[in-house]
Amino acid sequence: MSVFLAILWKDLVTEWRSRDRVIAMGLFALLVVVVFHFALPEAGADRLRPALPGLLWVAYVFAAMLGLNRAFAVELENDALAGLALVPADRGWIFLGKAAANWILLGVVQAATAVAFALAFDVRLAAVAVPLSGVVALGSLGLCSIGTLFAAISVRTQYREVMLPLLLLPLLVPVLLGAVDATAQLLDEGRVSFAPLQLLLVTNAVFLIVSFVGFEYVLDE
Amino acid sequence: MAMNAAPSGGLADRLRVPSGLLLGVLALLWLGSVVRAPEDQMQGVIQKILYVHVPVVFAAYLGFFLTALGGALFLWRDDERYDRLARSAAEVGVLFCTLVLVTGPIWARGTWGRWWSWDLRLTLTLLLWFVYLAYLLLRGFTESSHRAARFAAVYGIVGVLTIPLNYFAIDLAAGRTLHPENLGRGSLGAGMGWPFALGLATAAAALLHLVARRVELEGLREELIRRRAGAREGAWTT
Repeated sequence: MSVFLAILWKDLVTEWRSRDRVIAMGLFALLVVVVFHFALPEAGADRLRPALPGLLWVAYVFAAMLGLNRAFAVELENDALAGLALVPADRGWIFLGKAAANWILLGVVQAATAVAFALAFDVRLAAVAVPLSGVVALGSLGLCSIGTLFAAISVRTQYREVMLPLLLLPLLVPVLLGAVDATAQLLDEGRVSFAPLQLLLVTNAVFLIVSFVGFEYVLDE
Repeated sequence: MAMNAAPSGGLADRLRVPSGLLLGVLALLWLGSVVRAPEDQMQGVIQKILYVHVPVVFAAYLGFFLTALGGALFLWRDDERYDRLARSAAEVGVLFCTLVLVTGPIWARGTWGRWWSWDLRLTLTLLLWFVYLAYLLLRGFTESSHRAARFAAVYGIVGVLTIPLNYFAIDLAAGRTLHPENLGRGSLGAGMGWPFALGLATAAAALLHLVARRVELEGLREELIRRRAGAREGAWTT
């Protein structure tokens, strides 16, 4: 448990001192929003409405992948990853610390992106801000759990920037479907039914347990 | 060490000829039964592609299951033979899955009038194909073979665990389906049972035969690397 807090604290302090990861992710997410605007020039705000939850989550996932790649790339410097592997504790706690740091940093970026999104596409997100944050936090939990596991794998392969999305995206479908469905319900009706939340909860539980156990085998040597 | 995977005397090696013969006989019987099977009254001759499509999909699933099983056993026992099984089953599984994704649209074009539909089973199979292609790429892009084996084992297990999650997720999103329901009792016309049964047996035999050949090949390759390293060491010491 103390390992979990130590890793989380270390990652947050490092990020606070440099702020490079959050700025890069945030700028990237904003650019994605701008690209959507230019890629869909004919569609007005009304005609775009059914697609907006999906577009928002695409921006989130792309930004998350950028941050996840960095999370372990920094550990390669000075062989810090080997140091982490030597920590005399269950490596699952290292995973949890890393994943929690990713989750918090992604949350900051997501909040900024949501504001930009609301302004750019004229969506009234303020009215559902609280339940929407809950849905986004829940969806991001699944994203950051296997995302952190696969980032630890992909960072030690060739073409690591390419490897992470190839590993992550096919397995992310349950998270994406649940999150997009819940977000769409919130934007349409202002409330969300249990079905997508249930899917997210079950998926998160499976992903967290598998990543906690699997991390033991990816952090070695 | 995995000495009994040496080129001579291994179980896979001894079964090569019998399993090849069995596969040949099954394939001939299956071909005959498909030719003799009655034409479907509604769909016509294109329905016969399902005698390939359905058995091959089950064989592909068997391959992916073997990949996860081999990966789990490798992580547990740290024995490279299990890794060889996982890797070989993934390669053959991807081959079979590709066949499924080729035969399915050909049938769908003739029956539904379009090549693809984002339906539960089609999407699941497509995602599985992506997962196991990524699995093979991961192995190719990781330098140390032992590390590649561990990474791949973890990924293969997560990949299989995601199948039920994907199933529920897509079911929730897609709802209605175009894909024919699972074969229930009496859903096949007269004379259509045998080609399916023989097809299932042939596809399973083909998968196992190919996986065994691939395992054997991998064993030979590692033996070669070992001998070369040994020869190099010998050259150094003399």
